Amino acid sequence: MPQKKLFYDTTLTLGYHFTRLVMACVFIYASIDKILHPDLFAEAVNNYQVLPGYLVNLTALILPWLELILGFCLLINRWMAGASALAAGLMALFVGMIIFNLARGLDIGCGCFSAAPDGNPVTLLTLLRDISFLIVSLGLAGLVLVKNTRRHLI
Amino acid sequence: MAPTLVWQHIGNTARQAIFIILLSMALGIAVNLIRPDSIPFVETWSMADKLAAEGGDTLAITLEDAAALFSDDAAIFLDARSQAEYDQGHIQGAVNLPWHEVDNFFETVIMTLDPETTTITYCDGEACPLSHDLAMLLKDLGFTRVKVLVNGWTLWKEHNLPVTTPSS
Repeated sequence: MPQKKLFYDTTLTLGYHFTRLVMACVFIYASIDKILHPDLFAEAVNNYQVLPGYLVNLTALILPWLELILGFCLLINRWMAGASALAAGLMALFVGMIIFNLARGLDIGCGCFSAAPDGNPVTLLTLLRDISFLIVSLGLAGLVLVKNTRRHLI
Repeated sequence: MAPTLVWQHIGNTARQAIFIILLSMALGIAVNLIRPDSIPFVETWSMADKLAAEGGDTLAITLEDAAALFSDDAAIFLDARSQAEYDQGHIQGAVNLPWHEVDNFFETVIMTLDPETTTITYCDGEACPLSHDLAMLLKDLGFTRVKVLVNGWTLWKEHNLPVTTPSS
């Protein structure tokens, strides 16, 4: 049934490009303020209280570039296997950190889309938003797998 | 789905991910080396050090000094955490002044305090910024003897100093 197969492929292609572009925007947008203000972002990282002090600044310096580069890969549709896996991994990490800190009742700034540590506090809404992004990234990683392991299409 | 293609995909994923990570490490470090407002690669992130760095004499007070002032009844303790956390337990006699709603407590709490009395702010956790932020505000308002008890609530409990809890 070629009609049905065509529909299936079109859906996959649309889903692939949609999730790819959504996560590209999310990661690139999230990286910019942090790259511009490493001192503020370092403070936000420190406030999460999950890293030993000597790793805080290195994380604050490297993580935003990781977000920018993988966002850029997603945008230009290159190295999609690595970029989509990293995107899903990072989102899982962020969700984990947020759950961890909500559970222990720590009142901290998100440091998600703005570097400022006292900007937006981490709330249940933050968690729901990040879980949605995690689902989108997992979907994308799955679609990349399907795309790369089928002989043709997408 | 051919198994060889799946293995190929896993290999590609690992290779590309490692490459992206190495590239971000290189860029992150290189940019920090050349930018004018760079930050140190390794920094001590202890709140006590930070408080000391900001003024000549440190804002931080040791637990011993705070406990001595407490037993002499010579200081007011301000709990900068939320009301819910305060209700679950706080330093005996401490007044709740949640930093995130500080405006609402301006008349009921801040106006009733004597700016000349030693005031000790605390919250919970080594890196908790609330007590520090509150102390800076009080200083700006003209309070002369403001101190921060870093990691106050945890330290106070650990040393079995007097607390008020819902059960007590």
